[in-house]
Amino acid sequence: MMIWAAMLLVAAAQSPGTPAYERASALFQKRNLPASQAAVDEALSLDPRLVPALTLKAKLAMAAKRFDIARTVLEQALAIEPTAAYPQFLYGLQFYLSNELQPALTQFRKARELNPSDARAAQYLGLTMESLGQPIEALTQYEQAAKLNPKNTDILLTGARLLLSLNRLPESAQWIDQSLQFDPKSRDAHFEKARLLLRRGDLAHAAEQGELALHLPAGDTLDSQIHYLLIRAYRDSDPAAAARHAESLR
Amino acid sequence: MIAGPTIRFEEIAQKAGLRFECKNAAAGRFHQVELMGAGVAVLDYNNDGCMDVYFTNGAALPSLRKTSPAFQNRLFRNNCDLTFTDVTAEAGLSGEGYSMAAAAGDFDNDGFTDLFVAGVNRNSLYRNLGNGRFVEMPASAGLSGHHWSISAGWLDYDNDGYLDLFVSNYVYWNAATEPRCGTAEQQFYCHPGAYTGLPNQLFHNNHDGTFTDVSERSGIAKSIGKGMGVAFADMDGDGFTDIFVANDSVRNFLFHNQGDGTFAEVGLESGVALRDDGNPIAGMGTDFRDFDNDGRPDLIISGMINDSFLLFRNLGEKGFEDRGGSSGLLMATRQYTGWGLGMFDLDNDGWKDLFFALAHFNQLDRYLGRDSALANRVFRNRAGRSFEDVSAFAGAAFQLPAYNRGVAFADFDNDGRVDAIVSVLNGPAKLFRNLTPATFHWLGVKLTGTHSNRQGLGARITLQLPDGRTLYNHATTSVGYASSSEPIVRFGMGENQMAKRMEIHWPGGRVQELLDIPADRVVEVKQK
Repeated sequence: MMIWAAMLLVAAAQSPGTPAYERASALFQKRNLPASQAAVDEALSLDPRLVPALTLKAKLAMAAKRFDIARTVLEQALAIEPTAAYPQFLYGLQFYLSNELQPALTQFRKARELNPSDARAAQYLGLTMESLGQPIEALTQYEQAAKLNPKNTDILLTGARLLLSLNRLPESAQWIDQSLQFDPKSRDAHFEKARLLLRRGDLAHAAEQGELALHLPAGDTLDSQIHYLLIRAYRDSDPAAAARHAESLR
Repeated sequence: MIAGPTIRFEEIAQKAGLRFECKNAAAGRFHQVELMGAGVAVLDYNNDGCMDVYFTNGAALPSLRKTSPAFQNRLFRNNCDLTFTDVTAEAGLSGEGYSMAAAAGDFDNDGFTDLFVAGVNRNSLYRNLGNGRFVEMPASAGLSGHHWSISAGWLDYDNDGYLDLFVSNYVYWNAATEPRCGTAEQQFYCHPGAYTGLPNQLFHNNHDGTFTDVSERSGIAKSIGKGMGVAFADMDGDGFTDIFVANDSVRNFLFHNQGDGTFAEVGLESGVALRDDGNPIAGMGTDFRDFDNDGRPDLIISGMINDSFLLFRNLGEKGFEDRGGSSGLLMATRQYTGWGLGMFDLDNDGWKDLFFALAHFNQLDRYLGRDSALANRVFRNRAGRSFEDVSAFAGAAFQLPAYNRGVAFADFDNDGRVDAIVSVLNGPAKLFRNLTPATFHWLGVKLTGTHSNRQGLGARITLQLPDGRTLYNHATTSVGYASSSEPIVRFGMGENQMAKRMEIHWPGGRVQELLDIPADRVVEVKQK
């Protein structure tokens, strides 16, 4: 990612749109999306072929769930610079997020070829394969992604979830534990650990992990998911606690 | 584990004269109602011992009127030679409105099976007059309805000997106010989240041809969902029938019958409300039967692509456990969108198998990069531990995609093998004749209640076999999605040529015992 950001900046350096693009990029980092949008439009009015600006415009469109705009803009960027790996990854991503899985698969494969060291491209290629019913191929991609970025807990948990679905519990446990090693306060990791323990019938420890997850800062895991887990974990040992969690879902 | 024969079907609808297409009237305006419907019911309306077929059909949109014969519901009489004759006109069952589901049950205990037809903002109850004709009961019967109902089923929830009616309602729908979804350039069907959910309804049979809406009084109406398939079973063996409703994109409901005319919704506490990860699925069809022969009815629920179908094993007092992962169904069904389904022993090996009617939503092709029509699938039960997709060997019809919807199950040719009739949106209906090699023995039980409801719906039956196995099943017609199956309770008996003992627990508590029952026949049992 760092290398690509640097390359994009180098590419932008020669262009009259560069100052506006750099402003847009900084505003995007600060999550000031409307101002970032205005700045990137300014950059593109000065240089419509400025690939970093086109890429940022696509990211802004995707943040607004305007995948149709993102698609068009990324197609422009890739027409100008067909070997640009990051726009290529985003091009795959907008297909994936639009649930258009076959084109997503093709585009993520291209992104992998363009930048074999991009762990995220491997992860999303795996996610696409998983959605297309190719779990073993998906697992291979997650393994490659984890090798490229061993401390990325999101990748580790993605793999752990698939292994849990495949009922490969010991391997799933390894991936979850590895994730917790790098981020002991991850709500998502504690939730996955709780699911695994519940599957194994270790209700007491599942409840413990679930409670831990519930009190950790928000991640991808919703409170409702944890409440449902805790209902099942407490069902026999503490019906009152189970009822409390059920009530919070009603 | 006994290795079973290869489950195999032949599709014979055209050959059998079952020529029907459910028309959804889709014309590029993306009305949500177009996605649903295509229910099918199996009933022996003329008591000739051969199961007949009733299909529901759509209507013009947005008028919801059956403006052309193409929209008529259809009744086909089984000629008892595996051919069918369209008797809709003489039976008076062409219907009105945009019909969704059909539920067959003898609500007045006169020995003739009646029909309830659920639809979009209009329901109808047809009484079987016993002379080949049906008459629509007037609105004063109390069942005419004003919701969009997707499924319905007959059960005797209070064990008073008369069938009551449960109606699964989906969402508030009005063509004039329907939201527009998709992009500016490309309209598409809305997610169910764009619509307001509805409570389900329970109607108590007043024993005089009328019904009382007890949805509020019973506690059923307290739960607002987006109801799809409905299935019944006595989950805890307390003698009262419980109700499961598969909901679309919100949590499922499990209504525990408290035996005093009220229900408690216990889906969350029982562990069947959501998928294992705490997310809802787009629940579609459901069946509530015992897949592992432990005497407790389990739950199977179909869903949408990337949901995976759900399998919950009933643990008794400890609720249910999610067995999707360990049974292999979770990954094996992830790519499918399922509608109707059924848990029936298709090879008679003593373990109930799974039949799924599949299709992605119409016009999903561009998102998937492939055809949204799907072929149906059949999964073999491997000794109650896992399910194996055996569709590749199940016959050519399992390779042919269609917009499959409702499926109903019956032994149409009385050969002891369970067949399936599938209704298809905008395509020919399919009759799957079961041609699995008849290696194993079987038993059907046709109940006649005297104190209980006439069809014995809700009765639990246990069958003890000489090889030491005990099998369990119960009488219900409410199976899958928008559909209704035969009331005969069926058992596959493996290599056993007789059952040592049969115990029938009638609704209301009476227990009846039969000994040394020879296999390969339908036993008629009258309640003593």
